[in-house]
Amino acid sequence: MRRLTAATLMFLCALVAPAWAEKAPDPLEPVLVRIENLASGVRTLESDFVQEKHLAVFQEVLLSKGRFYYARENRLRWELLTPVQSGFVLNGQSGRRWHSRTGDSESFDLNSDPVMKIVAGQLLAWTRADFPALGREYRIVLLAESPVKLRLEPTTAAAGFIDYLQIVFSSDGRHVQVVEIHEKDGDFTRIRFENTQVNTTLAKDLF
Amino acid sequence: MDVKGIFATTYRFFSGRRRLLFAATLLLLLASVLAFQGVHMEEDIAAMLPDDGSSTSVDFQLLQRAPLLRKIVIDLEALDETGRGLLTESADRLSSALSPPLFSRVVTGPGPLGGENLLPWLSEALPSLLTAEELEKLSSGLDESGVGERLAESYRQLLSPEGWALKGMIRSDPFAFYRLGLEKMRHVNVISKVRLENGHFLSADGLHSLLIVETPVSITDSEGAEALLAEFATAAKSLPPSIGATLISGHRYTLANARAIKKDLVVILSASTLALIALFFIYLRHWRAVFVFVVPFSVLCLAAVAVSLVYPSVSAVTIGFGAVLLGISVDYALHVYFSLRHGGGEPDQVVGEVARPVVFGGLTTVAAFAVLLFSDLPGQRQLAVFAIVGLTVSLLLSLVVLPHLVPSGVAGEGRLAEPASSGGKRGRLILLCWGALLLLSLWQGSGLRFNGDLRTLSLVPPELAAAEAQLKETWGDFRGKALIFAEGEDLQSALAANDRLFVRLSSALPAGEIVSLAPLLPSAATQGENRWRWMAYWQSEAGQGVIAHLQEKAAALGFSPDAFAPFLQRLKESPPPVTVETLEAAGLGELVGALVLRDEKTVRILSLVPDTAEVARLLGEAGENGENGWRLVSQSRFRQEVGRAIARDFFRFILLASLAVTLLLVWLFRHPGKVLLALVPVGTGLAAMFGAMAALGLDFTLFNVVATVLVIGLSVDYGIFMVCKLTQGMDRSVDRAVLVSGLTTLAGFGALVLARHPALHSIGVTVLLGIGAAIPAALLVIPALYRREWR
Repeated sequence: MRRLTAATLMFLCALVAPAWAEKAPDPLEPVLVRIENLASGVRTLESDFVQEKHLAVFQEVLLSKGRFYYARENRLRWELLTPVQSGFVLNGQSGRRWHSRTGDSESFDLNSDPVMKIVAGQLLAWTRADFPALGREYRIVLLAESPVKLRLEPTTAAAGFIDYLQIVFSSDGRHVQVVEIHEKDGDFTRIRFENTQVNTTLAKDLF
Repeated sequence: MDVKGIFATTYRFFSGRRRLLFAATLLLLLASVLAFQGVHMEEDIAAMLPDDGSSTSVDFQLLQRAPLLRKIVIDLEALDETGRGLLTESADRLSSALSPPLFSRVVTGPGPLGGENLLPWLSEALPSLLTAEELEKLSSGLDESGVGERLAESYRQLLSPEGWALKGMIRSDPFAFYRLGLEKMRHVNVISKVRLENGHFLSADGLHSLLIVETPVSITDSEGAEALLAEFATAAKSLPPSIGATLISGHRYTLANARAIKKDLVVILSASTLALIALFFIYLRHWRAVFVFVVPFSVLCLAAVAVSLVYPSVSAVTIGFGAVLLGISVDYALHVYFSLRHGGGEPDQVVGEVARPVVFGGLTTVAAFAVLLFSDLPGQRQLAVFAIVGLTVSLLLSLVVLPHLVPSGVAGEGRLAEPASSGGKRGRLILLCWGALLLLSLWQGSGLRFNGDLRTLSLVPPELAAAEAQLKETWGDFRGKALIFAEGEDLQSALAANDRLFVRLSSALPAGEIVSLAPLLPSAATQGENRWRWMAYWQSEAGQGVIAHLQEKAAALGFSPDAFAPFLQRLKESPPPVTVETLEAAGLGELVGALVLRDEKTVRILSLVPDTAEVARLLGEAGENGENGWRLVSQSRFRQEVGRAIARDFFRFILLASLAVTLLLVWLFRHPGKVLLALVPVGTGLAAMFGAMAALGLDFTLFNVVATVLVIGLSVDYGIFMVCKLTQGMDRSVDRAVLVSGLTTLAGFGALVLARHPALHSIGVTVLLGIGAAIPAALLVIPALYRREWR
């Protein structure tokens, strides 16, 4: 009986002890700070990308390739080169998109184009490693430290179709290397950035 | 007993009972002042509109339902590039600064229009909305290559980042039918040049933002308008320096007019007071003469109380104008004063002698105003009661009370010398000048233009006109559109009438110029036909062919077999109907609320179109008399109709009043020569007024018409007095009384010519010209035309 009581006490102590113990340091915070500091030194980025679309509406995985440019603070060029040529340029709050097959080109404004607003918001947040902005809409979980791998789970309805995001940073931590956008219906898109060059001089007419 | 005897006896009766007379008079006047405190006055313009159930009065009621017409509009402008990015934020900031009670509701935009629900809803609703022509156009674009094009576009979209958000839509609507629905949304865009940004109204150039504000402050309430504009100015200070704010509403006009009138009154009252003081010292020179001027003021409250006893709601405009008109009653007091002061003889005899022309002068004026009792405008009927009571009491005060207040018989002027004969040299010269003036006036007067536009009566400051023009330029003429109401006993019959109306309008007007709910909410019957046609199409060979092409092309592009299962499933099901409730659920409730108007017996669906003659022609008589369930309410036509109605009423009034005055003169003088003679000042005054106005290029406005009544009423009195003087051998004090009466009128009303406000200025011009000519006509022409044998 005495043995049983002691065991019970030990069991309860084991349960309660973590609460008394000094809180363990959160490994996420210094990682985010480090990445943010590294990213803050990035003025421009240019990179090839390979996009894999794992969508149930297609029989096979869709592979596409393109080119990506970024210039601080909020200029982006997302250019799909194969299998179709299309893309968009964002300069501040407004931009232009084009489809080479139809030859159409049209302007857009983020304030009046909710879809482009979501798209541009996502791309800019990853590229700039803007964790305060991401933290307002996602719960950020550290999956690995080297290279840094994060999982972002939406905490608001604003993310809409997104179930979660997975982001892998480059080994030097200055830019994103892989992004995965997982949708609620199981579909996902993986984008791999390759041959990324940091702080090169970009032609002005790119944007 | 005749008039002379009655008032002579009355004078004698009260000679020994003056205290009683004064006490009774004071009591009556005090009672009227007390009763006046309880009179409720309305500032509503409705008192000046016909209440005969005519289309004008119905139109006025319907105009109140226009969605934006009576609201305050605030335009925010980015003054530099910095401001451009601050517009929506500034709109929100100003919106929160404009709070109740002066600003009851502020709208900066439609909000997130439909949000995520809108596109799926449009896609689902399309089968109920698509007309036969639209379905044909749609099907003609869905041949093999068309289907291929659309699917290739869907494929491209899915590869692009946008595909993340559009995948669900593409699966259920691979042909992007929702775009046809978006096309229909253009028809419910009330502000033509607007685009939406973050749910805010933004101009096409991105330099302006718009706020639409509701307020409980009546447009005619000048004090409320002042408070409202002051609060707006304070709120606007919270805006960044790169943002300019302009408020446009009827309140600014009210305030501008009220301020102009206030400024004018300082000038006018100063000029009038100086002139009256000068007249007092030149002609009256006795402190008791002050009682002469007290007479018109003392009856104001009594007359207003009388109106309130007859009419439940008293128009403030009427009372204000009536109070000015009652100023003419000072003439009766002046005649009594001059007769007693300078006429010589026993006071009772003098009072009796002057009573006849005074009573007849008063009666002619009362008769003239009595005609207004038959007016269609409630405000004018009230004016008639006000004037009849006010003038009658003034007349009695002048003849019964005033003689006991003024000194009498201090300086008799002696009986009248022979009048200037028409045969004399001086007489011939006067008649020659008069004839020349008449001919010149008639020649010029034939070119006088009548302007019935009510807007000419209102002061429009240049900065406000510029702001209105800027608003129209930036946002389109959304405040000036014509309204068409499709009416029915219930929602469905109103919607059916609206369907027919839209078909009629679409046949002649470009789509962008029609604001109508018909494309988004047709009647249940029309929707049923549309759905039946849609279902029939997809079951037909052509429809099945489109589905076959879809599956074939989808497979070729690598789509999985069930990629478009949601779309194919929807084609098999009966499409849902569109109702007011589904529109509200899609985020269009605000719009429905503005365009679907319900009252106890009628449902009206409002459409907005350009206010042009072409639209009026297009609807023809059906738009005017409500045939087909349509009623066109055009603001420009409404203004014209009200202007015409008032003008018609006044001209009829002037004619009838002239007739009544002439009949009274016939009864008084019973001699055609004397009657014509008494009318000489009226004829001369009117001719000179019309001629001079035409020569000066002035339009004859509604206020000129009103002032003409004044000129007729006063001039005929001068004629009566002068003819009485000549025929009855009255003394020269009559000349002086007529002269001083005319000069006081010129000092009081003619001073209005100095006003900046167009309405006051109009009255001033009319009185100055009319009375200015009537005085010399009475004093010089009547004696020159008078024949001794008429005595």
